[in-house]
Amino acid sequence: MLAGVTVPGATLELKSVTRRFGPVTAVDRIELAIEQNEFFALLGPSGSGKTTLLRIIAGLERPDEGQVEIAGRDVTDLPPYGRHVGMVFQNFLLFPHKTVAENIVFPLRMQNLPRARRDEQLAWVMGLLRLQGLEARYPNELSGGQQQRVALARGLISRPALLLLDEPLANLDRELRSEMEVEIRRYQKELGIPFIYVTHNQEEALTMSDRIAVMRNGRFEQIGAKTEIYTNPASAFVATFVGHANRIDGRIMEIDGALARMSWNGGALLVPRPAGAAIGDKVRYFIKHEDLEIVPAAVNGVAANDVNEIRGLLRDIIFKGQTANYIVAVPDGGDLVVSDTPRTVGVHPNQQVIVRWPAGAGACFTDEAP
Amino acid sequence: MSGLGPLSSFKRNPALRFAALVGPGAAFIVVSLLLPLLSIVVFSFWRTESYELHADWNLDNYRTLLGEAAYRIFFLRSLVTALIVTVVCVVCGWPVAYFIARHGGRYRLLLVLALAAPFFTGAILRITALQGLLGPIGLINMALGMVGLGPVEALMYTQLASGLALVYLFIPFMVTAIYLSLVNFNFELLEVAKINGARPWRAFIEITWPLNWLGTAIGMILVFIPCLANALTPRFLGGPDATSFGMSLAQQFGETGTWALGSAMGVAMFGASLLVILCLKPTIRLKRSGFTGAMTP
Repeated sequence: MLAGVTVPGATLELKSVTRRFGPVTAVDRIELAIEQNEFFALLGPSGSGKTTLLRIIAGLERPDEGQVEIAGRDVTDLPPYGRHVGMVFQNFLLFPHKTVAENIVFPLRMQNLPRARRDEQLAWVMGLLRLQGLEARYPNELSGGQQQRVALARGLISRPALLLLDEPLANLDRELRSEMEVEIRRYQKELGIPFIYVTHNQEEALTMSDRIAVMRNGRFEQIGAKTEIYTNPASAFVATFVGHANRIDGRIMEIDGALARMSWNGGALLVPRPAGAAIGDKVRYFIKHEDLEIVPAAVNGVAANDVNEIRGLLRDIIFKGQTANYIVAVPDGGDLVVSDTPRTVGVHPNQQVIVRWPAGAGACFTDEAP
Repeated sequence: MSGLGPLSSFKRNPALRFAALVGPGAAFIVVSLLLPLLSIVVFSFWRTESYELHADWNLDNYRTLLGEAAYRIFFLRSLVTALIVTVVCVVCGWPVAYFIARHGGRYRLLLVLALAAPFFTGAILRITALQGLLGPIGLINMALGMVGLGPVEALMYTQLASGLALVYLFIPFMVTAIYLSLVNFNFELLEVAKINGARPWRAFIEITWPLNWLGTAIGMILVFIPCLANALTPRFLGGPDATSFGMSLAQQFGETGTWALGSAMGVAMFGASLLVILCLKPTIRLKRSGFTGAMTP
């Protein structure tokens, strides 16, 4: 009966939320609506304002302008304890003088829930997060992963309208992190509570979320479904920040419909037409590692019209397990990285190779765009 | 094997090096603290006659202490005063320490040092200064007189004046103890409490107070014990009805020269202090104080 409970109408709306710290505008006129059942990631480098935005939603920080609405109610002027949101922190922040069980039921005690209800929900959340048997331990007697589970349990036990997560996995080791990524997403789907997940780790954001906002200098650089963000970055910044891309700088020589011809190192590459670009403009072209293909130079066939090709010298192969990164030195002195399945490619280091990819793949932006 | 002189064997033996390090301090403590204490216990079972100690063992001093009403009153008066002063110091000291730790910013150290400033002058001078403040021609009563209000009798040579002086003398210890506890307190935990539904007052009771109880208890001991032994403030500010146990004790070693009785009073005071510390002890559970907790990885 407890596992599938949803909070009706639990959505978050931010209306032109702004927060300044002295001369710095940490959060700049942010508009956002979060749907029920949504796993939303706020992705950005440190200092982009994502944590400040999260703290504004939690009520720990007051916006200078704008409105915060949770479940249709304006909570802009409400303190954190009136908002019924849960929050999970990077450094766990468990109460060191309380046992696991006492930590977890804390929100329910603050709501003055009767003991029987408390115990019932404690049993439910301990089961959900597989914490049984740890009730009487103190936080310093737990491993990092267990501490993070307890922090999650404390955030979820009162079934808040919204759960905020501030880089919750940053302090965990890699293996545990990927395990928790899957689990946190499972909790979100099971409980139907919207999660807002702040991270600077694009892999985390891509793995877990439904929708991503890429944040930079207090603004959303791009907001959309994660596949959209990944395949169609809206700016050079998003293209570098999400996924692993090669960057090639050049100049527009010719524009032809949706494609443009970009001069590069004496040759030309067919790239998507950058918005607002004119002939002669300097542009930056981004192509993801896995969009490239590598073949031995001997196989040099006829270059088709709709394929870009660059010759180069295979410098090294970085074996990563499922994939391998092929580092190719190209004539302009830079490196291109090609990501491919290791067994399918019959190339060796110090061999001449050709890197190729379909014309128009990737993303291209004019240079003056920051 | 050969060639190991005494110096190199000293270098190689950690126990020996440890003893050399700890030895002098430990010896000083034993000689200057434990021996006088022991001698007081011994004297308390002796007898004084015409300013001389006689080593005939008896319990008369303790009989006098328990039997004579005056000593019981002095003792209770000191005990109650010390308890009230301690509570007042906690109540007044907490907000000050909290403010310095939370909002002191880069002036924190300066503010804490300012608390110690009165100590630069010595206790007698500070009490005299209070006399100037509280007495009949003191600042407060003069000011009240100028606006036509009579002098506040409660402040002139009363137990209240004596107690106020104690608060004034000892509150810096309390503030310092609480401050030192609070600088190691993770204030982020309060944000967590508030997000989880705790109002500020509740967050204080649930989080701040228990996690700083150890420091507060140390402050309480630092205030309570000297207050119990207090002999100075009643003498300067207390008037006739404020004689404390400590003041009477001092008289035994001074004017009346009854050292044996004075020693017995000292033993009683020592026992009372020990009892108070033992009463506080069960409230201090290291796990519950977060003391052993590695909160942040």
